Amino acid sequence: MKMKTYRFISILLLISLLCPVAWGQSRKDNKPKEKAPLLSGVGVGVDVCGLAMKAVGAKFANMEVSGRIGLKEKYFPIFEIGIGECTRYGGETTNVFSTRAPYWRIGMDYNVNKKVNGNRFLVGARYGFTTYKYDFTCPDLTDPVYGTVRPLELEGLKGNNQWLELCVGFETRLWSIVRLGWNIRYKMPTMQSYSELGTPYYIPGYGRNNDTAFGGTVNLTFDVGKSARKNGQKPLFGNLFSKKNKETKETKAKEQTTAPTESAPRAAKRRGQ
Amino acid sequence: MKQNKAFFLACIISLLGISSCETIDCTLNNTVAMTCNFYQDGKAVQLDDTLTVTAVGVENPLLNRKRGTSSMSLPLSFFNNVDTMLLHVSGENYSVTDTVWIEKTSHNHFESPDCPVNMFHNITAVRCTHLFIDSISISRPDVDFYEDENLQIHFYPSAD
Repeated sequence: MKMKTYRFISILLLISLLCPVAWGQSRKDNKPKEKAPLLSGVGVGVDVCGLAMKAVGAKFANMEVSGRIGLKEKYFPIFEIGIGECTRYGGETTNVFSTRAPYWRIGMDYNVNKKVNGNRFLVGARYGFTTYKYDFTCPDLTDPVYGTVRPLELEGLKGNNQWLELCVGFETRLWSIVRLGWNIRYKMPTMQSYSELGTPYYIPGYGRNNDTAFGGTVNLTFDVGKSARKNGQKPLFGNLFSKKNKETKETKAKEQTTAPTESAPRAAKRRGQ
Repeated sequence: MKQNKAFFLACIISLLGISSCETIDCTLNNTVAMTCNFYQDGKAVQLDDTLTVTAVGVENPLLNRKRGTSSMSLPLSFFNNVDTMLLHVSGENYSVTDTVWIEKTSHNHFESPDCPVNMFHNITAVRCTHLFIDSISISRPDVDFYEDENLQIHFYPSAD
């Protein structure tokens, strides 16, 4: 498992090292670098994937919202808060595990894309933590020696987890202030404590209780700020106010065509003088 | 622009694919039993006589007429604080029974809803009668999935 962890981290580092090089090369051919303001935007987002999982009745779902600020269109300190819930029935047993608890994450994203064109290639890290209670019910236990039977219901077992996440993601402007993005996360537990009676099957915000875990989010973000409006590139699904723009363009064109007709008599006057 | 859209959709689909994968990881050896090894003169020894182990108050033996064994694995009760076991050794001309009391604490253990619930034990003390058993020592108090030695049962030194 450790080998896998090291391999993933090395791949991640390689990607983060190579991407700026690739971007740098493409930048030479394009326009000169556009400067972004220090406070380039404030964003509020929601994880669409978690809501969808909840809507389709998945075994577990993390429903979360996030808030972030953009600094120079490069650094994005972010705070995420959510509710993780899981009700899991055993496949071949009648055991049931359930939990529902809040979780928090703080961290930062770094935009590797050096052009201010609306697209962001984000590399970042998060530190997550949660305190939760979990329940476990199972069929009656039969004593292997004496054959006596007793029910088993474990309720309100306490757990406490902290973990680190490494994220890679992409984000683009859909239209106006609306942005859509996804990211893949590699999670590593840093601190965990839970009841001696049994390990929790699922940890809110972390996912399945394994040594390491993969996760991801699909974020719909509402980004307000200077850089959000001043995007050089066209939004992915066009501009909502495209009709307005067309009208203004048409009136400008008309003005240009009418301008020479008005200046013609003036020119004739000048010639006569 | 079309390439951008396709790339974006492909990434979302692959992300959902990753999140939908699931495996069941139950421990293959999910039997919880106390492992006892036999010793004589400080060395591991094989018991040539017939060994039968029963729990007090239970008709069915936990170990029935086993011969030529150097160890035994016994289940422990889930809800009792003390298990009383009768070790019955019989040869051609003799039959001896020693009683062993095992004091322990037990707690539930579960790993996943897919795996059966088990009971782990912690042996706190062991005492016995001394007809053919010289002494019993605890080598590992935790009784769980691992089949490591929990008790050392020492027989009286040989007459040689």
